[in-house]
Amino acid sequence: MSAIQIRGLGLVSSYGMGVACAVEGMRAGRPGITPLTLFSLPFQDQIQVNQFDHAPFPPGAAGATAVIEAAVQEALAEAQLARDGLRDAALVLGTSSFLFAGEAEYRHRLATTGEAVMPAVTPPGQVALRVAEDLGIEGPVLTLTTACSSSANALLVAADLLRRGEARRALVIGVEGLSSIALNGFHSLMLLDPEGCRPFDAQRRGMQLGEAAGAVLLEAGDDAHGDRLLGGANLCDTHHMTSATPDGSAMRSVMEMALADAGLQPADVALIKAHGTGSLDNDTAEAAAVRTLFGAPLPPFTAIKRYLGHTLGACGAVELAAFLGCLRAGFVPPAAGFRHPDPALQIQPLTEFRPAPTGAVMLNFFGFGGNYASLLIAHD
Amino acid sequence: MHKNSYSRPVYIHAAAALGPHGDSNRSERRVLRGDPPPLELKELVKTVVGAPLRQASHLVELAAIGSQLCLKRLPYAVPENTALYLGTGLAEVRKNEAVFRQVMPPGPGMASPFDFINAANNMAAFYVAKLGGLRARNLTITQAELSFEWALHLAAADLRSGAYRQALVGGVDENSHPRANHLRRITLRPDQPMGEGSGWLLLSVAAEQARGELLEVRHLARGTDLVPALRAALAAWRRPDEPLTLLPGFCIEPAESARLAQALPELQMQDYLALCGGFHSAAAFGLAALFDTPAAAGLYVHLNRDLTGHVMLTGVRVLPPE
Repeated sequence: MSAIQIRGLGLVSSYGMGVACAVEGMRAGRPGITPLTLFSLPFQDQIQVNQFDHAPFPPGAAGATAVIEAAVQEALAEAQLARDGLRDAALVLGTSSFLFAGEAEYRHRLATTGEAVMPAVTPPGQVALRVAEDLGIEGPVLTLTTACSSSANALLVAADLLRRGEARRALVIGVEGLSSIALNGFHSLMLLDPEGCRPFDAQRRGMQLGEAAGAVLLEAGDDAHGDRLLGGANLCDTHHMTSATPDGSAMRSVMEMALADAGLQPADVALIKAHGTGSLDNDTAEAAAVRTLFGAPLPPFTAIKRYLGHTLGACGAVELAAFLGCLRAGFVPPAAGFRHPDPALQIQPLTEFRPAPTGAVMLNFFGFGGNYASLLIAHD
Repeated sequence: MHKNSYSRPVYIHAAAALGPHGDSNRSERRVLRGDPPPLELKELVKTVVGAPLRQASHLVELAAIGSQLCLKRLPYAVPENTALYLGTGLAEVRKNEAVFRQVMPPGPGMASPFDFINAANNMAAFYVAKLGGLRARNLTITQAELSFEWALHLAAADLRSGAYRQALVGGVDENSHPRANHLRRITLRPDQPMGEGSGWLLLSVAAEQARGELLEVRHLARGTDLVPALRAALAAWRRPDEPLTLLPGFCIEPAESARLAQALPELQMQDYLALCGGFHSAAAFGLAALFDTPAAAGLYVHLNRDLTGHVMLTGVRVLPPE
């Protein structure tokens, strides 16, 4: 499968505006955990979140669009591309839903008028169309909603569009906002760790939710240098709606499919960014998958959700932007939050900074509904 | 923009269309005289799936019934390595509303775990894969009025590229009551019933046992003049003297259909929306219904547009019975 060039990255996260903010925070080993000020919850003191600064953005769907466009501007600036360069581009957006935007509109109206009116929850596809219109994009516009693998799948679909010649460039966006619905829902499932994300740790108890927007500008090209998307795969694990096949076989399968798509062997992988949510089942299955696929010695692996929070459908684009930003800055961040090895997992993530390696990097993203995606990128 | 660099044909091996009355073949379908009443699917789920789907949402039920009917009409067992593409414009309308009312004031402030899980927009695709035994690519595309067309396009592209040999493609949307509530999410003319339904096609690269052929799903940029675009598509797709039918999608105004019929007199028009009502992925119902109770052999072209002007043209051929 021919490689796809990664021409630009953009990020709005709890670290601030821009990839560099996140990279500096991660280089300092500082988790981007923030106070939750958007709304209050009865269990507020039992959770950790990553909230970005909302001051520059309006509430609701308009705010979601503005956050996306802020991330896009950074990606375009890196690629030295003016907006008119996007006319024949595709736009592929990944999100779990825009319930967060509807919730924000509801709160805003309640606060300003006292009316509790159920909002017309914005269908995800309409946000993508609005962004495409704003950016002058006339190519294909697509939205994927496959839970936490949404924007990872968006990267794969965008790469396919480019390989088939259906667009000259592709702008891939991942976006997610904090919402009391998501926090309530995951809390009701007992999937939020009061201590924050502790990936692969023996004492892990669940996730730490975050919000962010990530933008990745892709182009087809034959250049065998620079940052590239080498391939990837998507697979449905039908074991259970919310938990993985316990032996990790389905996760292993999607990693194997991704390697095959990229024309690589396990030994070619120099580094793994795990999905690493910190949930008991997910980390157990992912550890089993990595262990059985790669054998000993394992490539170094890390997880970055304590830094950025679990940004759900956005995490594909968001974590690619932040992680590649770290690699470009010359380092691999350790798995923040990990302290106590779990004997049951038989593996442990990086606990110290490492120099960025050359070679293939695997990035995993696993979601509800058994929707898994694994990507392989090259950085040199 | 359209560029189809892959020449491998894509065939249609099975189909199922589930309409707003719970109808799943031509003899059960009837013209809507207004909005259909709320559809209760529990019994049909048990009949078609063989067991109840406890806690499943209405959207999941629609998807499960439609996809299972399609797979049961397949003359062979569907392989595990069959990719799944589900297009849905609004996805989990009712479950999203339910969790919203639970969590937001003046609601109780806590989400039901089952409602929260089922509010995930890809849960329908999960159930379809689980019931069908599919362990392959699984994408939920929520691209407004063109959700099903994009699902079909991605599926066909994966088959033509050789990534997969079979693909199950569906379009599913649910309505919500009352109509005034639903109209906050979808634009319908006053005379257009709000519909819902589930349409499925099993695509394959194998010609044997095919009931039809998927020719192309063509994306046209905003502002494209439809008459020359349609003529260009027909020049590529139509065989000499082949019967030709146009299926206007739910965002095509009647006046526009009339203009096309006037400009292209050889077109026969087919109004499938009279049977299923308007919903974002109604194209799936219209196209699947051509094959679930086979229509006359010929070329069928589906035309649809989203509210910002992107247009999708879909060409399928119904093959004569062997």
